[in-house]
Amino acid sequence: MAEKFDHLEEHLEKFVENIRQLGIIVSDFQPSSQAGLNQKLNFIVTGLQDIDKCRQQLHDITVPLEVFEYIDQGRNPQLYTKECLERALAKNEQVKGKIDTMKKFKSLLIQELSKVFPEDMAKYRSIRGEDQPPS
Amino acid sequence: MENFTALFGAQADPPPPPTALGFGPGKPPPPPPPPPGGGPGPAPPSTAATAAPGSDKSAAGCGPFYLMRELPGSTELTGSTNLITHYNLEHSYNKFCGKKVKEKLSNFLPDLPGMIDLPGSHDNSSLRSLIEKPPILGGSFNPITGTMLAGFRLHTGPLPEQCRLMHIQPPKKKNKHKHKQSRTQDPVPPETPSDSDHKKKKKKKEEDPERKRKKKEKKKKKNRHSPDHPGMGSSQASSSSSLR
Repeated sequence: MAEKFDHLEEHLEKFVENIRQLGIIVSDFQPSSQAGLNQKLNFIVTGLQDIDKCRQQLHDITVPLEVFEYIDQGRNPQLYTKECLERALAKNEQVKGKIDTMKKFKSLLIQELSKVFPEDMAKYRSIRGEDQPPS
Repeated sequence: MENFTALFGAQADPPPPPTALGFGPGKPPPPPPPPPGGGPGPAPPSTAATAAPGSDKSAAGCGPFYLMRELPGSTELTGSTNLITHYNLEHSYNKFCGKKVKEKLSNFLPDLPGMIDLPGSHDNSSLRSLIEKPPILGGSFNPITGTMLAGFRLHTGPLPEQCRLMHIQPPKKKNKHKHKQSRTQDPVPPETPSDSDHKKKKKKKEEDPERKRKKKEKKKKKNRHSPDHPGMGSSQASSSSSLR
């Protein structure tokens, strides 16, 4: 898995570096640098070809759209991961609290119903396989 | 209030008609009140008639408890378990939530040239625009041949200043980030040694009058040699150069 990303990262870094060098050549162009410019332009083409080849290996990778919003706003995409984990934990705790409360409610309800409807509750327990605590 | 009571009374009265229509008073307690009889006999059909059709099967084996469903299995994964530990995400949780994650994109991609911290909407470089308006992907990437390269013959000389800034500014920004980092790191330690800050300030205050005296002496000397203030001119020049 990691190799796929390493390949893509390597190609992207090379591509970015080529673009940067191209920018330097263009920023103060001299007649002698035309050959270098032509070479760099073709490096960019080959760089794009290499990146395009990586696409085949990364078909099964899905990226959440929300990450793009972070990047578009100039924010660190790791913040998205952080917020996702925090949200998951908060929701996990919330649901656990609900489940625990419902369990308590259920045991209390069975307890109280057993007092008022002992026979019915005995049947209920027998249906449920007597796994319910009587009190 | 009187009207309300009158209406309430009027509403209370009508119920008899429905009973006359056939929802008989003999059946009103849908959950049969006498379960002790134990016979699911006549009661379940009446409940099944009123209850959802799906509950028929469960009602058959559950005696007086209609609408009874099977409990979810205890092995089922629910929110009662810590899902982060279940999926072995403790390490990544500690990594991202234990420490402060730096806000800017340039902190994530420090080696990327260009002003990447600016919103993508400013220069139409947003990733979202790539999704909304995907580029036309025709054929493959072909190398640029000799005749095509003729289109890339450029004029000699430097680029206009506006275009140059695109290349010059990023390294400055990187330096700024470094300063900011050091600034952000600085405030953390001095929380406890507050006395040291006072001492520093005092030292500065003590040094200040001496410096002022020296400066005044220098100014006086300069004024004697030249009536104009060369210091002002130089400062202006430096400020203007910095603006450029």
